[in-house]
Amino acid sequence: MKNEESLAYFLNESKIIKIDELEKKIRIAILGSFTLNGIEETIRVKCSQNNIDCRSFVGEYNQYNQEILEQNSKLYEFNPELTFLILDVRHVLGELFFYPYSLNDSEKDEFANSKVQEIMNLLRTLRKNSKSQVVFTELQIPTYSPYGINEQKEKFGIKQLVSDINKKIRHEMKNDDFISILDFNEFIQKHGEQNVFNYKEYFSGDMKISIEYIPKFCDELMGFVIAYAGITKKCIVLDLDNTLWGGVIGEDGFDNIQLGETPVGRSFVEFQKRLLALNQRGIILAINSKNNFEDAIEVIKKHPNMVLKEDNFSCIRINWNDKVSNLREISKELNIGLDSLVFFDDDPVNREFVKHELKQVLVVDLPTDSSQYSRILTNMRVFESLKITDEDIKRKEMYLGQRKRIEFKNEVSNLDEFLKQMDIKVKIKKADNFVIPRISQLTLKTNQFNLTTKRYQHEDILGFSEDVSKIVEGVEVSDKFGNNGITGVYIIEKTDSEWIIDTFLLSCRVMGRGVEDIMLGQLIERAKNENIKKIKGKFIPTLKNKPAENFYKDFNFKKEGEFWVFDTEQETKKTKHIKVIEYE
Amino acid sequence: MNEKLIQIVSEVFNIEKNKIDENTSPETLEQWDSFNFYVLLNEIEKEFNIKFDIDETLEIKKIGDFRKLFQKRGIE
Repeated sequence: MKNEESLAYFLNESKIIKIDELEKKIRIAILGSFTLNGIEETIRVKCSQNNIDCRSFVGEYNQYNQEILEQNSKLYEFNPELTFLILDVRHVLGELFFYPYSLNDSEKDEFANSKVQEIMNLLRTLRKNSKSQVVFTELQIPTYSPYGINEQKEKFGIKQLVSDINKKIRHEMKNDDFISILDFNEFIQKHGEQNVFNYKEYFSGDMKISIEYIPKFCDELMGFVIAYAGITKKCIVLDLDNTLWGGVIGEDGFDNIQLGETPVGRSFVEFQKRLLALNQRGIILAINSKNNFEDAIEVIKKHPNMVLKEDNFSCIRINWNDKVSNLREISKELNIGLDSLVFFDDDPVNREFVKHELKQVLVVDLPTDSSQYSRILTNMRVFESLKITDEDIKRKEMYLGQRKRIEFKNEVSNLDEFLKQMDIKVKIKKADNFVIPRISQLTLKTNQFNLTTKRYQHEDILGFSEDVSKIVEGVEVSDKFGNNGITGVYIIEKTDSEWIIDTFLLSCRVMGRGVEDIMLGQLIERAKNENIKKIKGKFIPTLKNKPAENFYKDFNFKKEGEFWVFDTEQETKKTKHIKVIEYE
Repeated sequence: MNEKLIQIVSEVFNIEKNKIDENTSPETLEQWDSFNFYVLLNEIEKEFNIKFDIDETLEIKKIGDFRKLFQKRGIE
C-alpha cells in the first residue's frame, strides 16, 4: 500500500505483522458505543512499529455495558491491561442530542448528573473487576445548536451540558491514577469535526469516526499505550544549523543567522520555546552538531534571541565527529538507552545515516520548511507518561547535575577521590502514595542494573506495599550537585527464615557510585537484626543487564541452583564513600 | 477496466491484480466485507477526487458497477 497513513494500509499490515519476539507485551481492550472496526488493527500495527507485542480485544458492537457489568464477560476473561472506553455524544445524549431544548434547565442538570453517575459507575466497575488501566474518551461538545447564534446566551445550552458532563467526570477522576481521560475535543479541534465525522459512513455503518481519520485517532490512543508500556522517549537530541536557528553559523556568522523577528527566524524561536516547555516538564535536551565549538557555543551563550540556554542542555557534542558516534556518546554520558533518544536534524543525509546505524533512535523526518518544525514536535506522542512524577519534573536538573559531575570527575584525579568528594547521601523510603508511582515507573523502565527485570504496574506495587510479608522500598540518592530523586528499588519477600529478593534495581543515572552496594549492605544488616539466616535472589540475564551480572558474586553470595544465596553469618563486601543513610 | 481502480482494489483487498475483474464481488472475494467495502470507497474517493452519493454506494454489488459511476463523472 502506498499511503502509509491510510486505514487500508493498517488493515493489510495487521494481517502480516510478526510480534512474537517482541520484548514488551500489552493486552488492550477497546469498548465503545459504535462501530470500532479498524481501530484495533491500526493499534496492533502501531504497537509493532514500537516493538510492542499487542494482543487485543474488541467489544461486540455497542455491548460495552454488558461487557463491563457482567463479571464473567469475555472482557474480563481476556484480562486487559489497558482498556479504552469510547462513547460518542450522540449515543450518550440520545434524542436530547437533537432536541436539547425539550428539557428545561433543571431537567437538563438532572440529566447531566445521571449520565455522569452512569459513566462513573461503568469506570469504577471496570476498575473493580479487572486490573486494567482505563482510558475514557471525553464526549464531543456538539458544534451545532438549533438556537444558532443565541446558543451562547442560553443559561444552560447543549454545549454547556456536554462540557459539564466532561468537567464532572474529569473532576471525579482527578485523583484516580488508574483512570485516564482522552481529550477527544482536542482531537476534534486539531482535525475538524467535518473531517472526523462523515455522515455517509455514519448512516451506512454507524461509524462515528471516519475511515480517513481512524489512524489519526489511533495516534491519540497510542499516547496512552506508549505511556503504559513505559517506552516514553526521555531525551531530544538536536542539531544546530537550520535546526535550532536558520542558516549555518560557520558560513553566515553570528549576525546573519535567522533567529528572531523575521518569518524564518520566528519559526526557530517558536520551535525553541516548544522544546523549552518539554524540557521544563522533564524531557532532557542534548546537542549533536558538526561545527567549530567556539562558533556555535557563542550563539548559545550570547545570541539575544536564543530561548534555550546552555544549562538547558544536559549533554553537548559540538565537534567534527560523525553524528552516529556523537549519539552513542550522548547515550553513554547520559546513561540512557539509544531507544530513549529522539533525533532532530535538518540534513536528510545525517538522518539516513543515523536511521541506518542506530535503529533504536527515533529519527524525525524534518521537512525543508522550518515553519513546520513546531507543528511536527507538538504532534509527537512519544513523550507521554500516565503520571508526571516529581522525578520527571526534576529530571533536567538531575541531568544538569550529571553534566557537572562529569566535569568535576575530569578535574579529580581518581575515582575514589571523586566519590569521596561527592558527599553522596542515601535515603530509604517506604512505598507510600508518593513513592509507589515512581517505583512502578522504575521497574518498567530500568534495563541495565536490574537483576530480575520484572515489570510491575502501579497496581501491582500498591498490592505489594499492603502485603506485610513484603518489603517494598525506594532509594533516594543525592550528592553535592543535587538530588537525583528516587533511583533505586528493591522488593523483598520475607519468610521466617529467609528473605527472597524479588526485584533489585538501580537507575542508570546513579550507577557506578556504590549506591547499589549500600542498598544491599543495609538489607543484609537488617536481615541479621531480624535473625534471618539466608538472603537469596536470582539474576535473570537479559540483553541489557550485563552491568549487574556479578553483583551477587561480589557480595559473596553462592550459586545454588537458580538462586544466589547469602548466609547472613558470613562476611561481606564493605561499602565505602557513602556514610549517611536515613530511613523515612 | 480503469487501471487505477484495479490498483486500488488490489491494494485494499490485498489480492493480485490479475485476479480482479468486472465480476469480483463479495461472493468471489472473502475480504470484501461491509467494512472493507467502505475502506475501498474511501480510497477510491480520495484517489479520483470524487464523492459518491449514499444511494450510489448501495448499488455497488461488484467491481463492474463502478464503471457506470465513473462514466457519470467523466472518468474512463
